[in-house]
Amino acid sequence: MPVGFSIPGRPLLGAAAKALPGTSRNYSFTASTVGAFLYHGDNGKERLGLFGALIVDNKDPRPLDHYVDDDGAIVPVTQDNLDKQYVLFMVDSTFWGTEISADGATQRPLWANPTPGAVLGEIVRFHVLSIGPGHTFHIHAHRWLKEGTDKVIDTRILTDGFDTHSFTVKAGSGVGAGDWQFHCHLIAHMEAGMHGNFKVVEAGGDGSAIVGASPYGRILLGPEDVPGVVTFEVSDEPASWFRSARGDAIVGLPFDIKTKSLEVIAPGSSVNFTMSDTNAVHTISSLLWPSGAEHMPFDQSAAYKGGGFVTLHTPGLYVFTCKVHPYMFGAVIVDDPSTEGLDLGNPAQDYTIDLVTGIRDLPTNSDLAIRLLTTFFVATAPDNWQDYSSGVWNVTFPSLPVRISGAPRSEALTDGGVAAPLSILNVVNAALPAPNPPSIPGIGEVWVNAQFEKTANKTKPGTITVLDAGDWKVKRKIALPAINRETGAMLHNIKVGETPSHVLTLPTNDQIVVAINGQNGMAMIDAGASEVNRITPTQPHGHKSAHPHGHWVSADGTRIVTPNINTDDVGIYSADGAIQSRTATGNNLPGAHPIAIGMMPDDSKIYASNLLHHTVSVVNGHTGDLVKTIDLIENYHPITGEIDGPVGVLPIQIPVSPDGKAVVVANTGGQIIVIDTETDTIVKMFECDPGCHGANFGAKAGGGYYAYVTSKFSNRMFVVDIDPNGDGNIEDVAIAGTVSLVADDETLRDDGIVGMAGMGGQGVLAIPNVYNGWVQKLPSNFKESLTAAQLNPGQ
Amino acid sequence: MKQTALSFVGLSCLRFSQRCGWFDCSRQNPGSFWSKSINSGLPITFVLMSAILALVLLPASASIAAEHVIRMSAEEVAAYDDGLGNKLLGYKMLSHTVDGNDITGRYSPYATIPGPTLFLTEGDTVKLTIENEISDGFDEITDVDHHLGKISNQVSVHVHGVHYKIVSDGTLKVINQLEDQGAGVGPENTFHYYTYEWDVALGTAGTWPYHDHNYETHNGAEHKGLYGAIIVDSVGAPQYAKEYVLYLTDDSFWGMEIDGVTKIQSKHGSNPGLSAARGSDVRFHVIPLGTDLHEFVLDSYRWSDPGTRRRIDRAVIGPLEKHVFAVRANRSAYYRDKNFTNDLMGVRGLFEVR
Repeated sequence: MPVGFSIPGRPLLGAAAKALPGTSRNYSFTASTVGAFLYHGDNGKERLGLFGALIVDNKDPRPLDHYVDDDGAIVPVTQDNLDKQYVLFMVDSTFWGTEISADGATQRPLWANPTPGAVLGEIVRFHVLSIGPGHTFHIHAHRWLKEGTDKVIDTRILTDGFDTHSFTVKAGSGVGAGDWQFHCHLIAHMEAGMHGNFKVVEAGGDGSAIVGASPYGRILLGPEDVPGVVTFEVSDEPASWFRSARGDAIVGLPFDIKTKSLEVIAPGSSVNFTMSDTNAVHTISSLLWPSGAEHMPFDQSAAYKGGGFVTLHTPGLYVFTCKVHPYMFGAVIVDDPSTEGLDLGNPAQDYTIDLVTGIRDLPTNSDLAIRLLTTFFVATAPDNWQDYSSGVWNVTFPSLPVRISGAPRSEALTDGGVAAPLSILNVVNAALPAPNPPSIPGIGEVWVNAQFEKTANKTKPGTITVLDAGDWKVKRKIALPAINRETGAMLHNIKVGETPSHVLTLPTNDQIVVAINGQNGMAMIDAGASEVNRITPTQPHGHKSAHPHGHWVSADGTRIVTPNINTDDVGIYSADGAIQSRTATGNNLPGAHPIAIGMMPDDSKIYASNLLHHTVSVVNGHTGDLVKTIDLIENYHPITGEIDGPVGVLPIQIPVSPDGKAVVVANTGGQIIVIDTETDTIVKMFECDPGCHGANFGAKAGGGYYAYVTSKFSNRMFVVDIDPNGDGNIEDVAIAGTVSLVADDETLRDDGIVGMAGMGGQGVLAIPNVYNGWVQKLPSNFKESLTAAQLNPGQ
Repeated sequence: MKQTALSFVGLSCLRFSQRCGWFDCSRQNPGSFWSKSINSGLPITFVLMSAILALVLLPASASIAAEHVIRMSAEEVAAYDDGLGNKLLGYKMLSHTVDGNDITGRYSPYATIPGPTLFLTEGDTVKLTIENEISDGFDEITDVDHHLGKISNQVSVHVHGVHYKIVSDGTLKVINQLEDQGAGVGPENTFHYYTYEWDVALGTAGTWPYHDHNYETHNGAEHKGLYGAIIVDSVGAPQYAKEYVLYLTDDSFWGMEIDGVTKIQSKHGSNPGLSAARGSDVRFHVIPLGTDLHEFVLDSYRWSDPGTRRRIDRAVIGPLEKHVFAVRANRSAYYRDKNFTNDLMGVRGLFEVR
């Protein structure tokens, strides 16, 4: 990887050239201005550690700064007056520090979230530097001057990008000794762990700093016996959404580790997260942790740009996700190095774990725990995905022995727990059947968001995969943001806000409604306009951001219904955005995570999938009253794994058929569930692929409807016929066929496909849109291919 | 002390400076005594005031510096419900005396967002007692699941800018390494108040935020409404016809208008309409709070960038910074946030000049 050298805001000779591996480059500049400057590696990986400070001292007797004394006097400070200096980098949601002696001659790294110290009355100069998303820096009970003014402040912005702020304090001035917290004052960053203490001790005490968490400390293969830190880079890279900064090295270890999203640390070491390889907003949220673990659950009240920092003391497995992107997983095993096998649960409590949904003390030898574990290893390693063009499926788990609940299996163990290698779960050469398309064609096209498919000329993955429903061939791959349906030409690239998710039009006036999943509202774009007209909030002022995800619009265009993932409710809003009702879907348990909505053609009922509760909420479409909660795992025994009926694990997209007969639910756990709307009971379960996700209806040729269902960790699409014999009864619902999402020689494309062919099936859209309300407004050429019943599904 | 007369609460606050007497809220009689007494107004306030007045008057200090004795509560604000039963929180002024003179009447009788704006002068001292009237704070402390991830059932007041010792930091022990410095549930499920002492020393002039730092987590609930401002002026500083405190949050301004002479506080709430008499000099105090960075604008106005000679028409500011400026009111205008989402969401209010 080439490495450069850059000082933002400073001209630098030679700055354009970077040093290739094994070579060096020279750069030069003139130190003409006193102050602190940030330098960095100028290669896109700065936030992983290639940064430092350049401090230009003032050696002449003129003051370089002032401090505010106990009595309010503004006292000039020369270089010689300084007792010590601290450099604190604010990077994502972590502080990285350096202590510098008074004369500048010696310095030592303080690593992550350190405790700078001083003796009461010492003159301490702080240099705060930032890379990445902005911050505000605050120290409790200390005041200083805003640069270039006589204004006393105690909080200072560091703007997005690169910024620096230097100031001088007299330690404990007017306030005395104490552990004075310093922190970023952005709520999300505070919640993500961005804080430390400035320890001011009485005269005669030890005012030296306490070192924070070191990357050379107690982590897997770490060389030093001090608190350690591992770093996960939050990324848009398929599978490696939480990528260990040394993921390549870990995959290279002789343990068959196929995921880059796993780390191992000792108790008392820390985990650092940096959202440095993504444009989206995220949360860093714990999904499961060892029972009763300290500092759990780790979470933030809204999505943001930044990172996270958490110290883990209790041994066991911790899995983190992003609430906005709940397929992103990173895992940390905190292991007591003195015992055999990696601890997957809390050793003090028979190796059990707790889940964010309120489940406590789940044995790690339970079927549910093992399913969660296998889900992690499949989701985070493309080698473990199902590639239907290869015909076989292999899942490889690490050969490392782990300790789980239950009686000891090894003779060597006397203190409980099973120590067995995870690789006993391996799947070896399982046959994958070739796609077998339906015999009856569908109408029009099916557009699939193949989110992980990689192409040559863009850095982020993802294609629109257009299937011809007439012959089930992949007609076109669109990789670049150029999505005129007919020609592929770009019309508008419209900024709508942070991390938009779903897009619908109002059937009444074609206004576009975008759910801003990473924020607190819906963006409204008038038909034909090229910018957002307004953003309507999904919650009253001041309340927790709802983070709306897969919304739906009523067929009469009067109501927008959002599943609010961050507040665990279904919101009903009028077409102009006014809040009509909000309905909690979690039945008083935390973390339901409603993620998608389906709606009856007559708007009478709303169906919401609760991803983490494995339930479907049925809500009155007019009043918002909760009518029923359908439990999709009622027939599943989480300990034994026994299944005595249909089961849907991690339900997500949930469209209602345009005729209102059936609800088809894609379940990330690998099932398709069909619900009869007359009884609101489950009538059928079909096996789906890992990461089963997208679902939407289109018209079947000659009458009836197909549900198209895609999976994130495979490259085929299921076609579900909800009523094969067309008798109006959905009892005979069946899989009509499967369709490959992999391009062939005849597929039109705007970019070369270079990896993950057809993978990442997420959103699905059938064209024409045959839902009630929209179908009536189709152009005549589309109408000609539909039956009378399909043209009036509300009847 | 728990069975003694109520006046001891007030007395101990002053005599033992930092901490109110530990007060068993009696799990057998959970909170009802307090809520009844306080809601019905007089008894507790009256007794406390008597005690406070007596003590304040005793030393008869010759100092010109004023001594402020303040009692505030933190409460749920019933009107601010998100439709799911979640309420915003607000601070409410219970009483404020300055050298024994009661100035409570200038504040709203209700919990407001932002909380009461405290006007102080360099040299003053403040003793501020916080009471926790958030029922959740102690009714359900044994409900472990309900409090999953919550490490505190306290509320506090952490202030910026002025001087205070570490015991008045208004933080939890996990931060200050000493003790939990808030009102609510303390050790062994006792319920207590907490008193902070601030020294409004020379050199602390300016507008500063105060906010909770303890509710539910060590970060507190500032983003749920528990914040307010203190305005510290130096002796002889210019006065303004109106003062406007505008907190700028992630989806709204929350502000109030204050009469420059009477200091009566009004128009609390979200994106308030502000008023000024044409030709009068008024002062804005803008403090962001939340996660977003902002660009504050008062349409068609320019003002001095504090501490400089620059004239500006916008200010880029982040959470818990302050931007304070004065203008002569000569035309109506919108104050607004130009942050992309907030601008489209209509985060603005009318500054109406008549």
